[in-house]
Amino acid sequence: MENRPFLRSALAFYTALFIGFLYAPFVVLGILSFQAGPEGGPQFPITEWSTYWYEHIFGLTPPSRIAPLPIGEAMIRSLTLAFMTMVTSTVLGTMTAQAFRRRFKGSGFVFYLVVLGMIVPGVLVGLGLALVANNLGISRAWWGTAYVAHVLYTFPFAFLVMLAIFNRFDRSVEEAAWSLGVTPMRTFRKVTFPLIFPGVLSSMLFAFTLSYDEFPRTLFAAGADLTLPLAIYGTFSVEIHPNIFAFGVLTTLFSFSILAVYGILMSLSVRRAKKAAIQEDIQ
Amino acid sequence: MDASRGNDVLPESATAEEGVKTESGGGDSSARRITAMLIAPGTIWMLLFLVVPMLMMVYVSFWTQKTFSIEPTLTVKSWVAFFSSETYFAALLRTIKIWLIVLATTFALGYPTALFIGLFIKNKTVQTIVLVLCVVPFWTSFLIRVLAWRPMLGKEGAVNIVLEKLGLIAEPIEVLLFTEFSVVVGMTQIYVVFMVGPIAFMLSRIDPSLIEAARDLGAGTWRIFRTIIFPLSLPGVVVGAIFVSVMVLGEFATSAALSGRKVNLLGNIIVTQVGSLKWAFAAVAGVILTAVMAIVVAVLLRFVDLRKEL
Amino acid sequence: MTAILELKNVTKRYGGDTALDGLSVTLEANEYISLLGPSGSGKSTLLRVIAGFEKPDAGEVLLEGRSLAQVPAYRRGIGFVSQGFALFPHLSVFENVAFGLRNREDDPLQDAAELRRRVDEMLALVGLSDLGERGIDQISGGQKQRVALARTLVADPKIILLDEPLGALDANLRARMRVELRRIRQQLGITFMHVTGNEEEALAMGDRVAVLDSGRLAQISDPDSVYNRPQSARVAKFLNCYNMFEGRRDEGGAFHAGVSSFACSPGAAAAGVYCVRFDKIRVVPLQGLSEDGGTGVRATFITSEYAGPRITYFFRGADGKVLEVEYHLSHRRPDEFAVGGDYWLSWSPDEALVYFQ
Repeated sequence: MENRPFLRSALAFYTALFIGFLYAPFVVLGILSFQAGPEGGPQFPITEWSTYWYEHIFGLTPPSRIAPLPIGEAMIRSLTLAFMTMVTSTVLGTMTAQAFRRRFKGSGFVFYLVVLGMIVPGVLVGLGLALVANNLGISRAWWGTAYVAHVLYTFPFAFLVMLAIFNRFDRSVEEAAWSLGVTPMRTFRKVTFPLIFPGVLSSMLFAFTLSYDEFPRTLFAAGADLTLPLAIYGTFSVEIHPNIFAFGVLTTLFSFSILAVYGILMSLSVRRAKKAAIQEDIQ
Repeated sequence: MDASRGNDVLPESATAEEGVKTESGGGDSSARRITAMLIAPGTIWMLLFLVVPMLMMVYVSFWTQKTFSIEPTLTVKSWVAFFSSETYFAALLRTIKIWLIVLATTFALGYPTALFIGLFIKNKTVQTIVLVLCVVPFWTSFLIRVLAWRPMLGKEGAVNIVLEKLGLIAEPIEVLLFTEFSVVVGMTQIYVVFMVGPIAFMLSRIDPSLIEAARDLGAGTWRIFRTIIFPLSLPGVVVGAIFVSVMVLGEFATSAALSGRKVNLLGNIIVTQVGSLKWAFAAVAGVILTAVMAIVVAVLLRFVDLRKEL
Repeated sequence: MTAILELKNVTKRYGGDTALDGLSVTLEANEYISLLGPSGSGKSTLLRVIAGFEKPDAGEVLLEGRSLAQVPAYRRGIGFVSQGFALFPHLSVFENVAFGLRNREDDPLQDAAELRRRVDEMLALVGLSDLGERGIDQISGGQKQRVALARTLVADPKIILLDEPLGALDANLRARMRVELRRIRQQLGITFMHVTGNEEEALAMGDRVAVLDSGRLAQISDPDSVYNRPQSARVAKFLNCYNMFEGRRDEGGAFHAGVSSFACSPGAAAAGVYCVRFDKIRVVPLQGLSEDGGTGVRATFITSEYAGPRITYFFRGADGKVLEVEYHLSHRRPDEFAVGGDYWLSWSPDEALVYFQ
């Protein structure tokens, strides 16, 4: 197919347009976040370029009729929640995927049960959990019901990532460790885990970003204290101001920095493996 | 002399096909015990926090709805109310309609891109880079991304300004925003990547020599696409369709943000009902949504073995 | 000689396929046994069952008289060197060898000096003294092989199983490692069980050679017996040095295979396989031949393959079958044959092996 130059260029052009379509909202909110404030609205044209709305987020502007975004505590809650979710779902995902390396009765059932967590719409998960919590007299909270709901969502992703990693994993190194008299438990710690670590990192990244941005599950499950997406959702019903766009830009940058940390950890783990080989012997 | 070298047929091939290997670091019973211990936490989590709540939802849909509370007296009143209400039944139909439209648009918009990424980009690194480029927008908060369509599609939005400047329209088009159209646009933009990914993955696995051979036999580009490329990409299409379906069917945020609460989907019904503490009614809508979803996924899964494709 | 490892009626099935079919064999202490079998004969499965990676469906494995049925792989004290070496890619050569000593369940070695002494000693034994700090991706295939061996040896196993240990090496290295493996084994006095699909390797390495066929033991004896007196036509076939003719013996003591017939020991009429080793055949030009060239077949020369110490000539028989003739060049010069020319391939009937069903 690659020797069809016209088709090739046409598709390349289309793909460029397509990527433009994907990025359009981001470009729009990037531009509008520099709208003049506090009078400028969340629409074109830009009356005057300014960083007013960025200052507004951090409370650096003089008080105006536009209330600051209620994000401070929500953000801390969201980060904490994302961290808790990340750890739990990665542990669960790794354990379950490890079990799947052996054929066992009922593996099909467990597989679909876990995958169900990413298939069932968030709004239903939230509704169900809220109903159960209400009837048991448990008060809903971001660190309780919402946390549980987030893990339901991210655990399947972690599980699938680890399953893919284990599928490519050469089990003969584990057998080699056993035949040297090392218990399976210690073999996992000393051989398997270091080798699957990149996969663990990926599933952590997945879980963190999914949880951080999770909205439909959280809506009914979070209770009185809001997470970040809920706080943003709260601004929907009221009037929208460009501060939400400025905030969007900031969160995107924040996401990129997490991605960068992931990238660094990843390359470090690769390099460390090589370095350990050289260093441990010099001392 | 080396012809006979190679693995004994059995252990390797028998296991590679299954994707699961037999193993016994210890005896058989201890291996079973370890497996049970490994799957227990995840399985219990899913059963307790997903399956039980879903069953609870079915149960509550038959409870009696009082003004601000529900009582565990069984009744079908909420069910009758749902199906006899014009609004709610329309929401069900609208959900199905929007789902089908978004399924079609994500496929139509996504397939050519997947084709380019999976088949025309030969370099694996470039392939990954383009795919990552498609995923990057996901690092912007989903809700804010949806909101950004408002200044795009509004009466004084970017699209209208551009079209007016180009002289294509005299008056700004008003139906762009706060209509089903804007909801479809927003959803397509958000979910199309879930269609592109699986299709591109399947396409990149096609053996180029297959296409080469077909061309040598004199098959034209269209014929090659129709008889080789498209059939081989179908599992990807199905997986993509599953992704898009499960996400669109449960949607409510996009329609809330981009329809000015005019386009109500089943998800929106649930949210409003919960907002006014009509739990039993919300549960009915939830059960119906679950049923629709189960049918859609079951039908799609008939075409592809999810466990194998992943 | 004392038995160190004993297999009794071991059977292993995968779904409907039987990999091991009631296999019994005994390994002596301090011997090098090579296990020859074509792919699919169950030889890798056998090693995995002994090592404890697979559980037999029936039968039992005894190590020093003790049943291993309830003993997991990590408590067996059986070393295992796999075909791909299975080195720990995240550890250095030194750490690979030290891994077992450091991490084993039974009496892990914590003393750094002692650890270093033991590992260095082992690295010296396999000739890798200077490479301890190298990473696994920084050494050659042959060196990896030695690391894998050192890692196994340092754990002081009672027996070492080697699964096609030379398969991943090039020919040159393979020849060197054969000698090395035998030297190391003799020095340590441990039993080695070496699985291979290569008949030459099996014969060269083993004090005894076991031939495996479809999950059963076809023959086990010293290499000379296996080579000169294979117990069955199938064993002869695996050895890859016999021309084989399927046919029938009549009461008169003649063996008929297609258009040819050969002299044969007299006996009752029976179907069978007539085998003549490649190097037992003389090639005589048809022109110079008296009426009767003795036992043999008429064949057309196709081509030859020169391999230093020996040369193999390929002929096509009357029925289209390819026949091989091997000359050992230590005793003679290679002959020149005309391509497409007809020759008489003759042998002494005493040298032929005939197997009846």
